[in-house]
Amino acid sequence: MSDDAFPLRALWMSDTPVDDKEVTSAVGHVLEKDRAARARRRQVRLFGVLAVALLIPLLVWCAAYGVTPLVRGAYALMAVGCAVLIAAEWVYLEWSRQALPGPADARSQLQQTAFMLARQIRLLKTAPLWSSPVFIGVGLLAVWLYQERTHTAAFALCAVALTAWIAAGLRASSTCAKLNDQRLEMEGLLNELQ
Amino acid sequence: MPMRRLCTIYADRAVDRDDLFQDIFLAVWRALPAFRGDASVRTWLYRIPHNVALTWRARDRRRQFRESPLENEIDAGAEMDLRRLALKRAVAAMPPGDRTLILLWLEGLSAAEIEEVTGIRAATVAVRLSRSRKALQLNEVMP
Repeated sequence: MSDDAFPLRALWMSDTPVDDKEVTSAVGHVLEKDRAARARRRQVRLFGVLAVALLIPLLVWCAAYGVTPLVRGAYALMAVGCAVLIAAEWVYLEWSRQALPGPADARSQLQQTAFMLARQIRLLKTAPLWSSPVFIGVGLLAVWLYQERTHTAAFALCAVALTAWIAAGLRASSTCAKLNDQRLEMEGLLNELQ
Repeated sequence: MPMRRLCTIYADRAVDRDDLFQDIFLAVWRALPAFRGDASVRTWLYRIPHNVALTWRARDRRRQFRESPLENEIDAGAEMDLRRLALKRAVAAMPPGDRTLILLWLEGLSAAEIEEVTGIRAATVAVRLSRSRKALQLNEVMP
């Protein structure tokens, strides 16, 4: 390194030191906030898992003892859809965890994060497809209502299912666009580091 | 302290700097059990903050378009502060790759250590650092 390089380092290192007490209190605050946030997230996840865990056996029971084959098929599809939703959620969270910055070197880290983001994007792009059993199941129930009960109820149920399906697709698509921006940014950084 | 200095380069606003510092601290805290001693503690400790800062910056692109109030937090009366401000601004204005390398070098890491942190070959690091230092001098950071 040239001699004139060292004044640059000295200048850089001469930054006003932060008070130790301030850092300790900031660190304590961060840990406390993180603990609270993780506890909250755990509760929300536990609630979600419990809700679906209760819903799936109910749907399976309905699939076994439904009044007609159409209704049984509808409930069976919904049960399968719920199981797929849980699996997709778990996979998405796992990939998010793997994309978190860790102690790998910067290039490997960026490559891994970009790779995980690409996987998450693919998962979200196919969301309308893998979430379809739930909505098709509800659609079949609407068909049964149309045949056996009132047309109004059938149309209403169909409209609700269709709206929810479209809303889920739009939400997945917007998240997908956001993740894609991040991935492109990661790839840009990776090119910068080459 | 190096973490704080890193935050001032990657985050323009004080509130963002605090956020980034928190993210870095948490990432280090969570990664601690994974440290197996196959890298030096020094380079291992530098890897995480730089990875967090790079991904943090990419996560929310809006942050990159905010105004930079760096100068508001510097005592404009002191010559040292003005030069340090000029250095910080020059480093912050560098492309992300060069910025990462120069930050590590300013923190006192050797080319070999920077290779361990970034994954870029030491020879390439040396060439790019030389170019960046020249750029800093052209920016009149140093008299």
